[in-house]
Amino acid sequence: MSLAKAIETGDLTQLPSRRDEDWRWTDLRGLLRELPKRGASTGVPTEGPFAALGGDVWLYVDGRKPANDAAVAALASEDVIQLRFVATAGGAANASQGLLVEPGANVVLLESYEAPADQAVTSVELKIYVAEGASLERIVIVDDRAESVTVSQADVTLAPGASYAQTILTTGARRQRIETRVAHPGEGATVRLDGAYLLREQRHADLTTTVTHSGLDGQTSELTKGVVHDQARGVFQGRIVVEKGADQTDARMGHHALILSDKAEVDAKPELLIFADDVQCAHGNTVGALDENALFYARQRGIPLEEARALLTTAFVGEVVDRIQHEGAREVAAAWVAKQLGQAQ
Amino acid sequence: MAAVKETVQAVAELEKYEHGFVTDIEQEFAPKGLNADIVRFISAKKNEPEWMLEWRLAAFERWLAMDEPDWAKVSFPKIDYQDAYYYAAPSKKEGPKSLDEVDPELLETYKKLGIPLKEQEVLAGVQGAPKYAVDAVFDSVSVVTTFKKELAAVGVIFCSMSEAIREHPELVRQYLGSVVPVSDNYFACLNSAVFSDGSFVYIPPGVRCPMELSTYFRINAAESGQFERTLIIADKGAYCSYLEGCTAPQRDENQLHAAVVELVILEDAEIKYSTVQNWYPGDPVTGKGGIYNFVTKRADCREDRAKVSWTQVETGSAITWKYPSCVLRGNDSSGEFYSIAVTNGHQQADTGTKMIHLGANTKSRIISKGISAGKSSNTYRGLVSAHPKAKGARNFTQCDSLLIGKDCAAHTVPYIEARNGQSVFEHEATTTRLSEDQLFYCRQRGLDTESAVALLVNGFVRDVLQELPMEFAVEAQKLVAISLEGSVG
Repeated sequence: MSLAKAIETGDLTQLPSRRDEDWRWTDLRGLLRELPKRGASTGVPTEGPFAALGGDVWLYVDGRKPANDAAVAALASEDVIQLRFVATAGGAANASQGLLVEPGANVVLLESYEAPADQAVTSVELKIYVAEGASLERIVIVDDRAESVTVSQADVTLAPGASYAQTILTTGARRQRIETRVAHPGEGATVRLDGAYLLREQRHADLTTTVTHSGLDGQTSELTKGVVHDQARGVFQGRIVVEKGADQTDARMGHHALILSDKAEVDAKPELLIFADDVQCAHGNTVGALDENALFYARQRGIPLEEARALLTTAFVGEVVDRIQHEGAREVAAAWVAKQLGQAQ
Repeated sequence: MAAVKETVQAVAELEKYEHGFVTDIEQEFAPKGLNADIVRFISAKKNEPEWMLEWRLAAFERWLAMDEPDWAKVSFPKIDYQDAYYYAAPSKKEGPKSLDEVDPELLETYKKLGIPLKEQEVLAGVQGAPKYAVDAVFDSVSVVTTFKKELAAVGVIFCSMSEAIREHPELVRQYLGSVVPVSDNYFACLNSAVFSDGSFVYIPPGVRCPMELSTYFRINAAESGQFERTLIIADKGAYCSYLEGCTAPQRDENQLHAAVVELVILEDAEIKYSTVQNWYPGDPVTGKGGIYNFVTKRADCREDRAKVSWTQVETGSAITWKYPSCVLRGNDSSGEFYSIAVTNGHQQADTGTKMIHLGANTKSRIISKGISAGKSSNTYRGLVSAHPKAKGARNFTQCDSLLIGKDCAAHTVPYIEARNGQSVFEHEATTTRLSEDQLFYCRQRGLDTESAVALLVNGFVRDVLQELPMEFAVEAQKLVAISLEGSVG
């Protein structure tokens, strides 16, 4: 049951609904009564958000794969790869891609979701394999339209000693789910899963992660932050599973959200499922408004209220951006976040 | 340290489940199975008025249309609802007016219950005994109710549900099912149709209940699921503390226990509800037998500044599946939930709470300590939600899990739903194992492993034990230690 399946078969009963536990806050069946018709193409924007950073650009337009592309692409050495998923003509589109990061390689994956067209329904499925000793940093910017419906699911499998880091930045859509499932073998492998959702108007964003630790000595660190305005709705679901025998696992998860309007909503479900005893697992979750004292402090020093708010909010989200390793990507992300947060002023 | 010493002794003494005995008292059974006639039989047996029977039958009708839920992290063979007795009452002559008339074997049962029934003295009518009002539920019918007079003097009504239905129908009709609606969930609905008995408490406006009220539930007859129904109403400005403790005889067949507890709290009133549950957990090695504890407990802070506090110590039952909840409807009302859940052997627990913030400036606090050992599984599942109107809502949640042994599991599944910009929710959870260093430290100083575990675990759960009334705290501390017997080494 998935959006991809529903698009493929045209059978909307394949869509997940509120009654499915993992989709309780991201109902697709109730939302999509029919799939939108494909319209005229608006054309592909010449530059994606990561254009300045170079590297190979793979363009997926309305679900079509770039020419000559294999189902599973092997990435070696010090590659920077840009994946651009662009919806130009509305309608429903499926895209999928397999990626193999070869042993010892250090790869940066810059992924963007762009929607010049209204009314696009997009499903993207990624299968990522990070081989022994390799590392992959994935930075995702999701820049959807208010009317878009997007589901992106990445299945990540790590080999021992591999490291995987990701940062997802999104402004939401009519309904949007960015999901990451990581098979964590332990044995020195490390995982960092970060994200930030910055939502306005009636947008919705759902950041869902599942990390399954199956071997000894694995590390996971997760940090997700959210800022919701207006009538927007942010959803965070994080699940850390420690299987039997996955001892010495050290897993930490944090989710913190700011609700900046009376009609906004944040739903969170940080789960720990532990089947081994020698583990250190923790999660923290906070939801609230901006600290009145901090605001007062700033205003007392002559900073206008709106500016003080922007300052505090940017600092709040900044923690996520700062954890991006790749310097160029971090700068792009910081600028993008600043632009999104600045919109209200 | 005295308590710890006692714990050590208790561990040594108890090789088997202490309360695993069966009392033979002539039982009056309804025929096995469940249909509308059984519902009528139960109602008739209890001389209930017509409206009550209709209420039950309507519930039964709805129950037939419902599906058994399966979302909890517990697994058990499918329950055959037609293969159980729904009514069993100790046979009685007139209805005992004094203890002399009570079946001596029943009194013997109380004796066997040991520590928790200090109130046995009270039951036995000993002069100068501590003041506890006990409404003992022996299987399905309240056999004896004490201290009625003293309570009546201040206007407190404390009686069995059957009696309340006869004597105070206006209160029962007004409040029964108003917190947990008939078709709230599968087990609550079943309870509404076939509930046997339970406690009814009404504290009139401005009255501080002069004593702790307590009920000891006891499942006695084999294969007779108990379906208690408890309703407590604290009228404006009233206060009451209610203790619930449970033991059950050792049985091979799984027994279903689907109780419903409803608390209604009006303006400025407060209810403190404490539970110690140590029903038979099943055979520690095979996991066979044991009680299924599927209970619906809910408090409704219906008016402003109402307060409710749930404290539970769950050490027993093969399966515990319950979420004592607080509906914070009145402005400035507050809810608290303190829980210790210990699982060992093959026990499964899926427990937690729901804090539903509906009114402005409502506050809630959740402290949950889960301990799993052996091959058991222990899940905290909780919901904290704030309605758009619940401006200034505040919640703090802390769930800690402790793992003892390689084969146990501990899960934390919190749900947080914030629907306005002026509420603050904080949640933190940790899962760790018993620290080797601390164990080593204790053993180095001459404690054996089991007492070291008891000591450390008692430290782990201290925050919650402190919330229990004194006499319960002592009992609970022992229970926790006894439940973890044999889990290390």
